[in-house]
Amino acid sequence: MWKVYKYTLLDLARNRFALGYALLLLLVSVGLFMLESDNTKALISLTQVVLALVPLLALIFTIIYFYNQYEFTVLLAVQPLRRQSITRAQFLAIGTALLVSFLFGVGFPVVAYAPSPIGWTLLLTGAALTLVFCALGMFIAVGQRDRAKAVGIGLATWVFMVLVYDSLLLWLMFSFSDRPIEPVIVPLAALNPIDLSRILVMLKVDLAALLGYTGAVYQKFFGGAGGMLVSFVALLLWMLLPAWGAVRTFARKDL
Amino acid sequence: MLRAALLVLLATCTSVASARVCSVWPGSGTIKQALANTCDTIIIHTGTYREGTITIERPVVLLGQGWPVIDGGGVGEVVVVSAPHVTLQGLVVRGTMVSDMNDNAGIKCISVTDIRIIGNRVESCFFGIYLSSVTHALVADNRVIGDPMADENRRANGIHLWKCSHVEVLRNTAMHHRDGIYLEFVTDSHVGNDTTAYNARYGLHFMFSHRDSYTRNLFHDNGAGVAVMFTREVTMTDNRFEHNRGASSYGLLLKEINDAHIERNMFVDNTVGILLDGCNRANVTDNRFQANGWAVKLFANSTAAVFERNGFSGNTFDMTTNGDLVLTTLKGNYWDRYRGYDLDRDGRGDVPHRPLSVFALVTERMPYAMVLSRSLMVNLLDQGERLVPTLTPAMLQDTGPLMHPPDRSGEQHARRSVEQYGERTLVPSALVAAIMVLHTWWSFTDRPILRSTGPHG
Repeated sequence: MWKVYKYTLLDLARNRFALGYALLLLLVSVGLFMLESDNTKALISLTQVVLALVPLLALIFTIIYFYNQYEFTVLLAVQPLRRQSITRAQFLAIGTALLVSFLFGVGFPVVAYAPSPIGWTLLLTGAALTLVFCALGMFIAVGQRDRAKAVGIGLATWVFMVLVYDSLLLWLMFSFSDRPIEPVIVPLAALNPIDLSRILVMLKVDLAALLGYTGAVYQKFFGGAGGMLVSFVALLLWMLLPAWGAVRTFARKDL
Repeated sequence: MLRAALLVLLATCTSVASARVCSVWPGSGTIKQALANTCDTIIIHTGTYREGTITIERPVVLLGQGWPVIDGGGVGEVVVVSAPHVTLQGLVVRGTMVSDMNDNAGIKCISVTDIRIIGNRVESCFFGIYLSSVTHALVADNRVIGDPMADENRRANGIHLWKCSHVEVLRNTAMHHRDGIYLEFVTDSHVGNDTTAYNARYGLHFMFSHRDSYTRNLFHDNGAGVAVMFTREVTMTDNRFEHNRGASSYGLLLKEINDAHIERNMFVDNTVGILLDGCNRANVTDNRFQANGWAVKLFANSTAAVFERNGFSGNTFDMTTNGDLVLTTLKGNYWDRYRGYDLDRDGRGDVPHRPLSVFALVTERMPYAMVLSRSLMVNLLDQGERLVPTLTPAMLQDTGPLMHPPDRSGEQHARRSVEQYGERTLVPSALVAAIMVLHTWWSFTDRPILRSTGPHG
């Protein structure tokens, strides 16, 4: 497994896209910090960029890379290797590459300009999102034979999580606005990894507003160590479940 | 003229000469005995004086030397002034009794005139300094510090004024009480350079107190901020309202306030910067609103409010209201969310700014919608509304928004707002991302990324 991991990672290191991804993130982060005098404001903008961009690129990159590697993967599969370990190694390698790119592109500027709790939360949630969407990408790619279809599904997943899910939530709130829906809405929002990450960062930024009327619900759910723990367990599940699904599907796949 | 001056000087000299000063040390006489004498000035030296409630029934000056402690012993009030022309200075007062029946205070003045309470320390008292039906008083440089451990119902107000007029409350510090400074039926008075902080309820609380002014005060970290009600002709200038956070906490809550002038104040990091409820003709000018949850909450029952030359930056919401009809004028404010342009270069945007976002309206109706704060969907919703306003009140718009913050126009010239840059970078970066995705897509079809130097090479 570790040999496959090592060679996949070596190949990824030569990948132009992974490098471009890191440079893009670096450009965005540094640009934001340079243009905006107030670092907290820059962090807020960066959060919005990261929350939209990182899932998209992680997802698409993983899917495309899986298909590019497909022949090599088939070659590996005929060797006396466990299939589970091949998928696991590939997931870990892609995840590592994306994570390194993310930490290089966003981590450096954040540490340099704004080493604040908001910054740390952003880095932590961004890293988690990278892995979550890498796992999702693996799951999608392994399940589909057609790469175009897989990319399509990936894009649809991204649009759903970043846009449609929130719209559904808002629609739900409007439809049930005369019922006590608060206890349902917050856990529902936390089900979406992008929303959960956004809430975790915003909890640090918009504290003044959040401590308003919703404060009680918010603080109860996310505030405190317990809430943080629950949030990160949720993100971890979002990582592990698709990864496990991908491993399982690949193990039973008719290559 | 010279003769008149000489006469005044002479008169002063004779009065000084006739003034009788007596001193009190611990162990040699009590303050009560000194008060029973006829001396005009009583100097109280360092030490602790436990004499129960001390009542001052004649004009006198009590002067503390080296912070003498007057301890009421917890039997009721500590110092009660019931005569005019009394000065209390340099005393440490403590030991009131907490009571649900009586307003026991460290220093209490009732129905008197010409009182000066200067430079005292009132420590862990129930009420701190309490003036009732007093005219022409000066309360200055006192430190009124309550017990930070006490429950809210065991606390009372730091500086409490009831039915007073012409009172100056200057440079005092009031902390850890229920309300820091409390005024009811107090007219023609001035509160300036005071600091109130960490009070369980309000930093400053006044009702029915007409024609008063409040300048250069600092109100921070109070349980519910500052709340003022049912008053005409209030002037509040150069104050700072900071870090008042909580579900019902306001930097400044104005309820039924008419003809108020709110000028040059700073509102920083409050849950709600300023709330106007049933206020008529409020003039809110030259204030700065920074990093508040809601900078301005404007209830629709307020009429003819004018917001001019205020700076709004880094607030989660700049403005919300709860009705459709808004009789408020916004002109020439700076909004960091403003996306307009200034073609004629007069420093004012050429298209009006609508400070009320759809999302602000949504959260006004459904507070729990805050979970969607700053999500892409909400941004798109706000953008759409900005292009085609349909949901927000059409009246509520700033017709000539400033392009730069009012007071830092030169230095900040090149700097724009957060979201402006956020969006400006989002668009090119999304473009770049799209190109890269397409490029990869294209490249894998005929040129695999995996080179011959790969794992099997």
